[in-house]
Amino acid sequence: MAEYRLDCLGEACPVPLLKTQKKFAGLNVGDVLIVEIDHSCAMKNVPEWARKEGHNVEIEETGDGEWEIYIEKAK
Amino acid sequence: MKLEENKYFKAVVKNAWPYTVGAVLLALLNITLFIANGSPWGVTTPFVYWAAWIHETLVGPVRDWVYFNNPTHLKALDLTFFTHGGSLMNLGIIIGALFTSLAASQFKIRKIKSFRQVIAAIVGGLLMGYGTRIAFGCNIGAFFSGVASFSLHGWVYTIFIFAGAWIGSKLLVKFFM
Amino acid sequence: METKTTVTERVAVRPGRKKKNQLPAAIVVLLGVILFGVMLGGKSAGLAISWIFGIAFGIVLQKSRFCFTAAFRDPVLTGSTSLTKAVIIAVAVASVGFGAIQYAAVTKGGTLPGFVSPVGWHVAIGALMFGIGMVISGGCASGTLMRVGEGFMMQWLSLIFFVLGTLWGAHDYSWWKSIFIDGTSGVHLPSVLGWPLGIVLQLTVLGLLYILADRWGNRQKS
Repeated sequence: MAEYRLDCLGEACPVPLLKTQKKFAGLNVGDVLIVEIDHSCAMKNVPEWARKEGHNVEIEETGDGEWEIYIEKAK
Repeated sequence: MKLEENKYFKAVVKNAWPYTVGAVLLALLNITLFIANGSPWGVTTPFVYWAAWIHETLVGPVRDWVYFNNPTHLKALDLTFFTHGGSLMNLGIIIGALFTSLAASQFKIRKIKSFRQVIAAIVGGLLMGYGTRIAFGCNIGAFFSGVASFSLHGWVYTIFIFAGAWIGSKLLVKFFM
Repeated sequence: METKTTVTERVAVRPGRKKKNQLPAAIVVLLGVILFGVMLGGKSAGLAISWIFGIAFGIVLQKSRFCFTAAFRDPVLTGSTSLTKAVIIAVAVASVGFGAIQYAAVTKGGTLPGFVSPVGWHVAIGALMFGIGMVISGGCASGTLMRVGEGFMMQWLSLIFFVLGTLWGAHDYSWWKSIFIDGTSGVHLPSVLGWPLGIVLQLTVLGLLYILADRWGNRQKS
């Protein structure tokens, strides 16, 4: 049930998704990864990947053009 | 009720549209532009004019270059940014994107984070610019409009853009991540 | 003791940070767009049309987060093919319209409109360079312009060098012309294969690519 943060602010596509995929592989079921991004395209492709993998995803807009993506490892 | 909570405002202005909606709209726009202008959508040829105008102003003439033997290119050298349709269209893309990102309250000056991003921008930009001159277009002019024009060069471009993207991905993961 | 909470609950308990409403700025930009368009229209209708199309392309690209770079890059790099599929749809829809425009022009006895350029190794090499460049710098030509508008300073820099790169390419064009381009010519598929076969073949290939992309996207489960 641990919570991790991944700072991808200032990173351009596809770096946020690649970093998320890499980090997520080492997590346990139930862990939550919070990905901080400000790249408008990553805001679409990171959640899309996570949902396709079957994980729980929530997006919060934390500022102008900044988001936090919460991904809970479901399996 | 606040505008931000209106469901139509949310769907159209605030949230991202599905990729397929974008695809169909871009295709329809390209077709309409083709009818209106007599030639389909291209992006990078105005870039070489911008550079050529600056070069002619500051450094010296480019008219003697083989590239500018082409009558269309030669004629464009005598235009300016605000009398050249393609340049205005490219400016329009920038301003259109600025408009929608502001309307969604998602505009932000994203600063360059590291030195490797500087190198990536310089190397990537130069490679793309050079590539467009010898491949006769970019992802828009050679691929999107080229393939849709039923041109074989568009299909050759498609095969090698995949190969290039694959090599680029390897380099990105190794050096720029 | 920690109780099990869902992701949604975790997000809900977090205090929201202050956000600015940028809508007023958007309205100012829109007024500027209209004003500039009217000014251009006074000079020439063609310039105003180009301006309006540019704005429309920018809006659609930004709102749908359309990215040609991702369409070519993601299948291998991240396993996602949703943009690849979208790009195939865009090309297929455009092909139908372009085909009709070209057919109408040619049957009227006019020259063939559209982008049909010489085919040869120069296209392969140029596309390879472009492919490497767009992945490294995080955007192709349309993507770079769109991200310039969204405020990405990295793409501001990349655009400057993109423009320089085109001039460099134009400078070296005579070499490429003499080695690769001279002697090659454009190949318009329907002119070679006939209209029915040319169009059917192209749409079939696009359809097969779509199916392939769809399977590839569903296959990759890490």
